[in-house]
Amino acid sequence: MTDDIAFWLSYLTNGKHLTWYASFQFTIFAALMGGALAVLFGLAGATARNARFLPLRVLGTIYSSIVRGVPDVLFFLFFPLAFEQGVEWLVATQVCSPAMVAAQTAAWPPCREANWILGTPEYLMLASVSLGIVYGAFATNVIHGALRSVPLGQLEAARAYGMSSRQVLWHIHIRQMWVYALPGLSNVWMLIIKATSLLSLLQIADIVLWADRLGAPNFLPAVGLVHADWRWRYYLVLFVFYILVTWLSERVFEAIMRRVGKGILSEAHA
Amino acid sequence: MPETGSTVSMHELNTAPAATMPVVELRDLHKSFGALEVLKGISLSVGEGQVVSLIGSSGSGKSTLLRCINMLEVPDQGDVLIDGEAIKLRGSAQARQIADESQIRRIRSELGMVFQSFNLWAHMTVLQNVMEAPLIVQGRQRAEVEAEARAMLDKVGIGSKTDAYPSQLSGGQQQRAAIARALCINPRVMLFDEPTSALDPELEVEVLRVIKVLADEGRSMVLVTHDMEFARSVSDRVVFLHQGLIEEEGTPDEVFGSTKSARLRQFLNAANHEEQRHT
Repeated sequence: MTDDIAFWLSYLTNGKHLTWYASFQFTIFAALMGGALAVLFGLAGATARNARFLPLRVLGTIYSSIVRGVPDVLFFLFFPLAFEQGVEWLVATQVCSPAMVAAQTAAWPPCREANWILGTPEYLMLASVSLGIVYGAFATNVIHGALRSVPLGQLEAARAYGMSSRQVLWHIHIRQMWVYALPGLSNVWMLIIKATSLLSLLQIADIVLWADRLGAPNFLPAVGLVHADWRWRYYLVLFVFYILVTWLSERVFEAIMRRVGKGILSEAHA
Repeated sequence: MPETGSTVSMHELNTAPAATMPVVELRDLHKSFGALEVLKGISLSVGEGQVVSLIGSSGSGKSTLLRCINMLEVPDQGDVLIDGEAIKLRGSAQARQIADESQIRRIRSELGMVFQSFNLWAHMTVLQNVMEAPLIVQGRQRAEVEAEARAMLDKVGIGSKTDAYPSQLSGGQQQRAAIARALCINPRVMLFDEPTSALDPELEVEVLRVIKVLADEGRSMVLVTHDMEFARSVSDRVVFLHQGLIEEEGTPDEVFGSTKSARLRQFLNAANHEEQRHT
């Protein structure tokens, strides 16, 4: 019995497992950063859609209607790669001399000095930005609708009292918009959480990748078969993690809703 | 010399308020919504301390006229002057718009508008509603504004509701809070757009009482109303609008007592019937 406990303790705290536990931070970071960026892009997109300046309005509409349809997996693969090579091309135009270009044997980048090697932090940032862009299009739609739900009379009153358009936007319009936007934004947030399971596509050693590695049949020449295919058990842990995150998110959204809904939602809801 | 100048104007103010520079002056206002011409050339002036009531049937243009004073509606033609200063507009006809944002913000911050549907900001408490414009538009000191806001809320009789949200108040209380909000900007003129039309008769009374107090204090006011009885008791001058034009104007006694216009007589009869049905 004690041997069993000792075995499991040492098994679950071996180096690879510790790395796995640590990799949860990537998922959490990508979700939080992606979520924050999505709201930011959503606010920008929605105000662009409401702008008086036509090109801005067109841009906002295109963003929210087109990007929403792009599969997140595809964008995850496309954006970091395109961004990386774009930066390399830009650097190359500044750095590469003809001699350097001649010395380069690979097809890309133009010269070795322009090579940009991305590590996990860079990929994590790019992943967050990808999430922000894709789900910001959803957020744009949600926030655009929410902005239109704020009673017009209150905006008119703000103008009648001499507020500038910016003051009306920030003090009244956006402040009240949250109540109408939060249910939709909580959906977007859930989608973002789910999409964090795609991090391994960007060569980030995330929780899914580690679960896969640790669960696979483990065979050591000296010991023989350590364990058979245990992947489902590791995936089960991930399920539990995602369910916990979902539950926690619900609580947080309820708390935010109570806060921003003060005075707007009836007492029964608040 | 400046001293005699000021004595003269004080003298004028006391004896004939209308003879001094009007607080609000409207010159030949025209306004159309699409093909519908709502104002067809209206000129009107409101002197210091005067209470002017705009009456007329629905669609006569009285609310539109009031909303032109602070440019919530921009007239297609004509000028609006506040304290002799013309509000700058550019463009023409229905494309006409406000030309100088900082001017209109300054002027609006001196016009206290009260709306039919209150339009209190739902996410703020009553006190915050009253303090908002003085703080962020007029840039005044918080302590001073808060003291004044509390005094105004006491004055309109809801001093105990400062921390309530608008949704927790009755319509009459909300409208009184809205009046306190208008008062707290120290307005040159109060603009009332059918302030009691959204209220039940028993709540109407408490709002009318507040407006009456303000009128008696000598505040300049423009009031759009359906309540003929009230217009009569509170106004220095009553203006009857019909299909976008001023059909008749004068003192309450002139307008309600010795009506010249057949249309006005018809309107007053109808209004009278309406009131009797309510009581």
